Amino acid sequence: MEEEVKTFKNLQREVVDRGLCGKCGGCYSFCSAGELNALEIGENDLPRYSDEEKCLKCGICYLICPQINVLNNDLKARFGWEPPIGSYQSISSARTKDPNVMKVCTDGGVVTSLLLYLLDHDLIEGAIVSKKRGPFAREPTIAFTRDDIIAAAGSQYTESFHLEELGGKYSTYSTVLPQVKSLERKYLRNIAVVGTPCQINTIRKMQCLGVLPAHLIEYTIGLFCVENFSFDDLARERLEKRLNIDLADIQRLNIKDDFIVTLSNEITIHIPLEEIDMVARPACLTCSDFANEYADISVGGLGSLDGYTTTVVRTNKGANLFRDVLQGGYIDEVEYRNTDERKIDKTKMLAKIVSFSTRKRSRAEKRLRELSRS
Amino acid sequence: MEAKGSKPVMVIGGGIAGLQAAIDLGDMGIKVHLIESKPSIGGRMAQLDKTFPTNDCSICILSPKMAECYRHPNITLHTYSEIKEVSGKMGDFSVKVLKKARFVKEKECIGCGDCAAKCPVRVLDEFDMELRRRGAVYLYFLQALPMVMTIDRDNCLYLTRGVCRICEKVCTRQAIDFEQKDTEIDLDVGGIIVATGFDPFNPIGLSEYGYKRYRNVVTALEYERLICASGPTGGHLLRPSDRKPAEKIAFIQCVGSRDVKNNSYCSAVCCMHVTKEAILAREHDPKTQSYVFYMDMRAVGKGFQRYITRGEEEYRIKYIRGRVAKITEDLEGNPIIWYEKTIGPTTEKMKVDLAVLATSFVPRRGTEELAKILGVELDEYGFFKTEPYAPFNSTREGIFVCGCCREPVDIPDSVAQASGAAAKAAEIVTGGYS
Repeated sequence: MEEEVKTFKNLQREVVDRGLCGKCGGCYSFCSAGELNALEIGENDLPRYSDEEKCLKCGICYLICPQINVLNNDLKARFGWEPPIGSYQSISSARTKDPNVMKVCTDGGVVTSLLLYLLDHDLIEGAIVSKKRGPFAREPTIAFTRDDIIAAAGSQYTESFHLEELGGKYSTYSTVLPQVKSLERKYLRNIAVVGTPCQINTIRKMQCLGVLPAHLIEYTIGLFCVENFSFDDLARERLEKRLNIDLADIQRLNIKDDFIVTLSNEITIHIPLEEIDMVARPACLTCSDFANEYADISVGGLGSLDGYTTTVVRTNKGANLFRDVLQGGYIDEVEYRNTDERKIDKTKMLAKIVSFSTRKRSRAEKRLRELSRS
Repeated sequence: MEAKGSKPVMVIGGGIAGLQAAIDLGDMGIKVHLIESKPSIGGRMAQLDKTFPTNDCSICILSPKMAECYRHPNITLHTYSEIKEVSGKMGDFSVKVLKKARFVKEKECIGCGDCAAKCPVRVLDEFDMELRRRGAVYLYFLQALPMVMTIDRDNCLYLTRGVCRICEKVCTRQAIDFEQKDTEIDLDVGGIIVATGFDPFNPIGLSEYGYKRYRNVVTALEYERLICASGPTGGHLLRPSDRKPAEKIAFIQCVGSRDVKNNSYCSAVCCMHVTKEAILAREHDPKTQSYVFYMDMRAVGKGFQRYITRGEEEYRIKYIRGRVAKITEDLEGNPIIWYEKTIGPTTEKMKVDLAVLATSFVPRRGTEELAKILGVELDEYGFFKTEPYAPFNSTREGIFVCGCCREPVDIPDSVAQASGAAAKAAEIVTGGYS
């Protein structure tokens, strides 16, 4: 007797219904890019059947879900994953050299520079980035030109590497990835994706299976991620109560060693990360990936001076890109007075990433244990 | 018509040489088993855009031959099949052939492509020289024969991971059959003709040319796909990096040929196919300017010299005698050709949109294994060994060779050799040989 293939029904039961869906959009992206069209993104950005009759029970959406472990060992083997932060080749603190990017980026602008380099050199046709609509709302978009990328940088990256790390409710690339298939045409074309660990995870799982639309994704730039918030009204109320502020007053969210909220009146509030977990999305509490362990290059503000981006180069593709972008004069690394200082700083950066990764991993393990008991 | 009592002949390879040999034998009334390792017959000629010196559409010349072979009452096609074992002797060979499972019922499949349209897998397409992607269930090429789909077992998600089966669910003719198994068939044949053809030399080792490092450096066979209407760009000559039209093209001759470090022999056809490729570029766009960097122009064939002259005069091809030392790339991805002319003291460089490497012909991958199975010898370059005055005889009686597996040859010569080899094989099975 053949084993039943697990389908979206199982995904619903095991992930969506248990509140573990991270809304990465992987299942929907695959289903619609494959023109199977059985799924849609419904209320609260959760995937659901649009037409269950159309489901061919292929079981691929199940396998590529970041919350499903079937392909995890494949991924680990493929990327030479090792604890505690995944495989990496180097860590550095870098920032853009482009004054236009610097103008719109209060951060290091490394992601923007990487994307501009790729676009300038015809290495990608476009990049999927998310644009900010408001303090807690994001909209995915495909950037095809320098202007598109800088525009996305202006709204997104300014406040936002850090915002990305902590979240703000952003919708994901999910509504964009399916459209990417139209780029496929007949000739080989590539795009880059900037995403959170769950988004990169589902892309890598698709690539592991060799399925569309992830075959078009040549470069993955991963954002460090502690968690995202779920900003439904209830959560909003809880957060406002805890912080004793009006969320509309928030100017900027940041994360260094704790969660930093800057209000419009320039008042800064520090909150321990553990307390923020209470409003995190349940999916994030079971996610064990802080440092975007399967991206080509992972980035975040953690561990760097203001105005710099911590950059973890992971894959060979990432290493070549980072080298070329440095050599091409798009970015430069932070200058150290001597090799000792350099060593110490890099060790500190690594230590911070390790500590955040370890915290997230143990939080996920604990949460999963709780879930399995209940 | 059937030659009474004669044993069949096995032809290995379904390219232009193998097809011609099979048709000749079939027309003599001799039964033929044609073995092709790929999912379709057609071979390298199917990948070419046009043929020299007439600029005929390659597939338009080839397709009728494929169809003739496919329909011939005396020819049995065994596609997607490999030779496993050969024993016996001239006049009485026993052959074991492995027929690989396509996982598609050949009798049911009509090649409609519904399955390929829904297959979610994307892998690089071999026929289009990896310039396009295809699904795990696919048609080998548009005019493939037999016109049936094949499931690529290394990439199919059902065969590798037990999921998906989308093709099976969308096929309205229930032609997908995952239960299919590889089968072994036994053939008794009197003679064997080997026509396994060639592979293009991989120039990656010649790092001075920057192949695979610079995206606008392609091989001649890749160029054929780029300029072919059924190719990945729909026949628009767009260079790989930015899909801009290539208007200034450098063709580099003897890449891997006449080169003591690689293949010391002349590949015989590159002078001509490069001239054709340059002519085609100009026909596509009269603005195109082509440069051919050569050592000697070898136009040995009917109408060949005239073809080159036409290229020079009507199509403004500039032939530059000299070796290219290296290719570099500028910031816009344009290849820079560094070369030395035989006349003149200096080295020069030229910026072009696209560089095309005329790579030499080498024996097909797997030729060594096949030679072992057949019990025949190869020459020092790995082609099948033949004698000057018995050009189609291999080193084993009853086994004949023709086409590019014995030496690099053009299409007219392949066809001529195929007819020659067919005649030699016919001698044996019709009993005239003693």
